[in-house]
Amino acid sequence: MVSVPPVLLIALPLLFAFFAPLVNMWSRKAVKVYTLLVLILNATLSYLLFANVMQNGVVYEQLSGFYPPIGILLAVGPIGAILALLINTLSTIVYLTYFGEAENSVKFSMLYMLVTASSTGIVITGDLFNMFVFFEITAVGSYGLVASMRTKESFEGAFKYIVLGSIGSAFILLGIATIYGYLKTLNFYDIALRIDTMPPTARLMSFIFLIIGIGVEAEIFPLNGWVPDAYQGASNRVASFFSLGPSKAGIYAIARLIFTLLPILSGWQLALLLGVFTLIIGELAALMQEDPKRMLAYSSIGQMGLILIALSLHSETALIAAIFLMVGHALAKSLLFLGVRDYARGTLRNPLIAAPMFIGILSIIGMPPFPGFWGKWYLMKDLASQGAWLIMLVIILTAIVESVYYARFLHRGTGGEKRKLSRSETAAIIILASLLILVGIFPNYLYDPAVRAAASLLGGGP
Amino acid sequence: MILEAFGVMLLAVVVVLALDRYPRIAAAVAIIASLLPLFALTSWAGIMGISLPSFLAPLEFESSLVYNLGPGTLNLAITPLGWFFLLLLATSFPLALLFASSFVRNRAGGFYAGMLLTMLGSFGVLLARDALTFFLFWEIMSWSILAMVLRGGDRRAIVSYLSFGSLSAMLLLFGFMMLYFKTGTFLFGDMHLDTSLTTLVALSMIVAGLAVKGALMPLHVWAPHVYSRSEEPFVAFLSGGLSKLGYFGMLLFMYGIAGLSLLSSWGTFRDVSYFGYALAVIGAFTAFAGTVLAVMQDDLRKLLAYSSVGQLGYIAIGIGIGTPLALTGALFQALNHTFFKAVLFLAAGAVYYRTGKWKISELGGLGYRMPFTFLAALFAIFALAAIPITSGFAAKWLLYEAAIEKKFLFVTPIMLIAGVGAFLYAYKILYGVFLGEPRYDVKEAPISQLVAMWLLVLPLVIFLIFPGWVADLAAPILSEYGMQPIPHTPYVITTNLAAYNTLAVIFALMGALLVSLILYKWKPQEVVPHEDNYLAGEPPELYEYISMHAASNYYEPFEDVFGPVFRRGAERAWEIILAAAEFLGNGARRLYTGLTQDYSIYILLFFLILVGWWLLW
Repeated sequence: MVSVPPVLLIALPLLFAFFAPLVNMWSRKAVKVYTLLVLILNATLSYLLFANVMQNGVVYEQLSGFYPPIGILLAVGPIGAILALLINTLSTIVYLTYFGEAENSVKFSMLYMLVTASSTGIVITGDLFNMFVFFEITAVGSYGLVASMRTKESFEGAFKYIVLGSIGSAFILLGIATIYGYLKTLNFYDIALRIDTMPPTARLMSFIFLIIGIGVEAEIFPLNGWVPDAYQGASNRVASFFSLGPSKAGIYAIARLIFTLLPILSGWQLALLLGVFTLIIGELAALMQEDPKRMLAYSSIGQMGLILIALSLHSETALIAAIFLMVGHALAKSLLFLGVRDYARGTLRNPLIAAPMFIGILSIIGMPPFPGFWGKWYLMKDLASQGAWLIMLVIILTAIVESVYYARFLHRGTGGEKRKLSRSETAAIIILASLLILVGIFPNYLYDPAVRAAASLLGGGP
Repeated sequence: MILEAFGVMLLAVVVVLALDRYPRIAAAVAIIASLLPLFALTSWAGIMGISLPSFLAPLEFESSLVYNLGPGTLNLAITPLGWFFLLLLATSFPLALLFASSFVRNRAGGFYAGMLLTMLGSFGVLLARDALTFFLFWEIMSWSILAMVLRGGDRRAIVSYLSFGSLSAMLLLFGFMMLYFKTGTFLFGDMHLDTSLTTLVALSMIVAGLAVKGALMPLHVWAPHVYSRSEEPFVAFLSGGLSKLGYFGMLLFMYGIAGLSLLSSWGTFRDVSYFGYALAVIGAFTAFAGTVLAVMQDDLRKLLAYSSVGQLGYIAIGIGIGTPLALTGALFQALNHTFFKAVLFLAAGAVYYRTGKWKISELGGLGYRMPFTFLAALFAIFALAAIPITSGFAAKWLLYEAAIEKKFLFVTPIMLIAGVGAFLYAYKILYGVFLGEPRYDVKEAPISQLVAMWLLVLPLVIFLIFPGWVADLAAPILSEYGMQPIPHTPYVITTNLAAYNTLAVIFALMGALLVSLILYKWKPQEVVPHEDNYLAGEPPELYEYISMHAASNYYEPFEDVFGPVFRRGAERAWEIILAAAEFLGNGARRLYTGLTQDYSIYILLFFLILVGWWLLW
């Protein structure tokens, strides 16, 4: 197996993104093909990296010639490899839909590559400040992507995102400053080694700062005010991209925070509480939404709550559940956001749209044999073995609420005139649906990496 | 072997989807694919020489098949109980498809694909030997039913089905997880339950979850909506076949896994566990209320739907009482219901196919135009109303006897009243749809529909003559639960109170029929037109406001008495719960004001709360 330096995953798209305007000067039409090729290259590299990590264990790479903990370290563990593969593959598939569009904006393609690279950066970095930088790139790129529709709603959504995103960044920076002030290091594993030397007050304060900052990006209630407006304002492609890229990177950062950086008991309890609230509020708010995109956005919030619950349980089974939920949610939600374009009566008359959308919804509400089911099954299994009946009850009640609004959503699509999506969009949702089926029917392909990821995270490693 | 059969069925799903343009070929593919699993199962069980008695004889059951998925293992095995229900499903399913081959014209590929998926899911449930397999296939079945309901496109049907389906799934999941918490395993064979409260709650949740699919009141709300707004061949299989899976699950969990002694450890009433007694009472109530509601319906499909709910209640009574006699009666009733309800739904479909009408008050006289459909439906109605000598009578007789034997003063009379109520609506179908004045000049139903209906009537005839064969099938099930099978020969079922001898009953009834026929024919009859009966010879033009149809407001006094009590009771409760959830949802939605300053303040407040929490802590 070829060993791929992880830094290529970040460096190549960044580099190629800056060349995109040059390509644009040569030919406007070539930009899309160029971007797609870059994304395919990145997806291939991420697969090679994934295979390498699965075969040989964690891949470390030090940058800029200094040894850690002074130099910047990239550390790709199993979970980072899974998420890097997920983000890069799915962003390629979602980008396919841009080919059906008459619009051809080099800025959009550039931002798309930038955000892909920086989301990947978040999941493979081993350095706190580096992660902050990638968060900033992701956020700035995302503001641009939301606004790229150039409608009133998209500007409004982007503006809210900018304000809240900046507050979040400020909190992350405060947390980093607190940690650096005491430990004089920013390397995750170095911090983890010496975290006990920090006074408890400082430890807790930095935890609070970091979870608030990252929570904004990870769509955690009550920090997620931007989510509904940004998703509604963004184009379907961008909303779909958000649910597979930046939001997954955000939830990964929370996992990194509560497992590696500051594995303190009150932190897990807080995360659990936040997860439960996010789940309840998200699902209930989705129940009363008329706009399909807004409904999906609230449903995403609910799913993030579920993933956060799974992460905060701090056991192997629950972590496997979290990975299945993440993968299932990334696939299904990006599918649904692509499919709701012009959603109205008759959308589901077209079997090529109806079947993938139906599969996506089934995965979200946890029906077998799709990834969402395995996630929910494992989560419930872990909760049951701990006897956490109350949380199980919450999950069950919200699942019923979820099925009610998805039932209404499904009903809205039946009857009426047959509608169509563009050919590239149809292709993308069919590919995503077949991925859902594959992961669902052959769960062991995800299960084995997930087991490793869980073991590695629980052991405090990458 | 069985997994290969499942694989072939999945392949068939793709093929029929591709054959969307050619409904007949798709139907043929689907029928062939639907026959495969049964052959796979019979060869797996080691019998291929199929003559009827040996086909029905108890099989030699093999040990289970284990398939490792990674995150869990699938354990599949044929058990006597599973085999009984497999026979029901595997016979009614291809016939429903055969009926559909001429009935379903629109988007046929999707129809057959959905049907095959429901079949695949239900087979998996019947073979499951651990909770994961059971739940996985249960949910596959559940969402493929949803796909079929979506084809109907009715809002109430979709929302009620998905919310109740989800409720059922979550109850099952919670129950399984509680059992896992108690026993540390998902394997049915290894679950050794104790008498703790957790086990009781878990079992109640599982039974409640199963009762949703079995349409027991008050969890039946989805059933009338779904039954009345989907295509008939599917409804025939749903009501006839799939609803039995709820009762299969109850038998499995209450007697197969928990066992009679465990159920009795939570207290008994006249030697019947409180657990079972509660189920029997709910079943009796369902039988009664379902029947009353069925009598009030004018829509043929709604009538059959409520009748289904009522008839399924009897199965719950039998399972609740839990004596060998009662369980045999419950299995017999399940078998009968599968076939007669399938025939009735298909006959309703055939009537619709020719006339385009569902309302009983708009139909009439079709017995003269569609005699073979009429005769099939007539036979099913006889079985439904438990007219003596039909197999329906034999089943209900066993159930009555089981209840009388236990001196159930509440359950027994209600069962009897509900049995009489069944006459009322059966008569409404018979008279309103098939007899009376012909209104439509239509042809007989297409041959494929007739063949499907008559092949479904066949088992009713067979078990009319040989009720003992059902007891044969029930014997291994009972002995697995440590019970003595009830003594029987093919013609005679012997009980503590008496023996039910079909030959004697048949001969007695034949004789009585002959005598009454002679007496009836003795006197010459005069046929009077309808209007004369109604209007006593006055010209009908004067009375245009009176509907001339016999079925309109036929049971008006009855409706006046029972209507206010029963109409939409459970449905209203469901609506109130939904409204409460929507109220909460509005509250949650108001948190998202859309104002950036509010959101910023949320973040700030959250920060302050965390800091305050830490300061206090």
